[in-house]
Amino acid sequence: MELLKKFEAHAATRDALASQGTAPTEITIEKILSPTEAMIDGRHTLLVGTNNYLGLTFDPECIAAGQRALQEEGTGTTGSRMANGTYSDHKMLEQELAEFYGYPYGMVFSTGYAANLGALVALAGPDDAVLLDADAHASLYDGCKMTGAAIYRFKHNDTESLESRLRRLGDHARRTLVVVEGLYSVFGDKAPLAEIARIKDKYGACLFVDEAHSLGVFGDNGRGVVESDGILDQADFVVGTFSKSLGSIGGFCVSRHAELPLFRYASRPYIFTASPCPSVIATTRMALQQIRKRPELRTQLWDNATRLYNGLKEMGYELGPDISPVVAVRFVERAKALGFWQKLLKSGIYTNLMQPPATPDGSSLVRCSITAAHTTEQVERILAAFRGAAG
Amino acid sequence: MSDTIETITGVLSGLLGKYAKPGSTIKASTNLVADLGLESVSILEFVVDVEDHYDLNIDIESLSDVHTVLDMAQVVARLQNR
Repeated sequence: MELLKKFEAHAATRDALASQGTAPTEITIEKILSPTEAMIDGRHTLLVGTNNYLGLTFDPECIAAGQRALQEEGTGTTGSRMANGTYSDHKMLEQELAEFYGYPYGMVFSTGYAANLGALVALAGPDDAVLLDADAHASLYDGCKMTGAAIYRFKHNDTESLESRLRRLGDHARRTLVVVEGLYSVFGDKAPLAEIARIKDKYGACLFVDEAHSLGVFGDNGRGVVESDGILDQADFVVGTFSKSLGSIGGFCVSRHAELPLFRYASRPYIFTASPCPSVIATTRMALQQIRKRPELRTQLWDNATRLYNGLKEMGYELGPDISPVVAVRFVERAKALGFWQKLLKSGIYTNLMQPPATPDGSSLVRCSITAAHTTEQVERILAAFRGAAG
Repeated sequence: MSDTIETITGVLSGLLGKYAKPGSTIKASTNLVADLGLESVSILEFVVDVEDHYDLNIDIESLSDVHTVLDMAQVVARLQNR
């Protein structure tokens, strides 16, 4: 059928990957053993690409909370938040997230992707403008496209590039949404949020920060880069996901603006989807408590991240600019990156392979995400595997 | 005052130099992808260079029909005249 011919290109990509051995898109976790270990291809494998930053997926208190909710509230809500899908626990989580940030308002979405789409669509419209960091995640780009606003991209993490575009917008800058991430997930580099916030205030723009990879990771209380950069009172809307440091699935938006609760009436990705199931809400609420009461998880995470980053740096690998739980090793040649990634996998280390066009600068990356649950011995095993794969 | 399409095309050709394959000939009809081999990352950087050179913002939607140097020159001319 003519309509289906477009898939030929995708089939060619899939076949090309398969012809070179194990494809990164075809990995199956045969059995998950712990936050850091799984069986893949019949092999006991150390997981170094899960974004499970605090290692809470097997936390006993989170599991117990999920089991209780499953038993008492059932498997799913079978409805939208605007119909029968709002349970008390959804509202409790919204309140707890808002309190966590010190904001009055919070809103929960069914996925992190839906949170970005839903919040952006509610916020901006055809008469507005969006200034989007060039390396922003696909969900932010997709959400911005859905708004119908004029979208301008500025150079990644370049505040001069941001300011020149705001200046050119003139009075329209006051109807402009600046969209950035706290921590960029590909290279693990942090946004200069303090400077970005100063600039958006200067021009009267609105700041939207996605903390998907920084919640629970940055800041004295784990609130993300908005906390570590001291801009909690300047950020207008903060979004995040439950599927990384909180170890479940879902997303949220919190704000100091009273308009946030009105998003419920303006956001199709919020209205036209089923709400998160009770067990997910329960484990997320418990995980948020863990972030609040166990700062030692962050300490362990940063110890591991520093050990891994410095170890790989000493071996001469080209890494991202900042030490963070995301450590990306850069390769110029695609084939070399694929071969290296496969060698690591065969030696029992699972990482993420990222190749163009999924990478911002056209390079190929073997990306590690380290967690608080990795032991020092496991980090040393990762380093040894990188040493071995290079040989 | 706005520039002529020819003038803009000349400026764009100069800006494209650092992204094009060595030895490429750049003229108005040159296709950014097919002739110069630009990938999406390079196109984005080129657009940012054009914006900064002309001190204007080019929204993503305007770029959907840009394939050649001339197409881009027409976008710049239109924004200059706005």
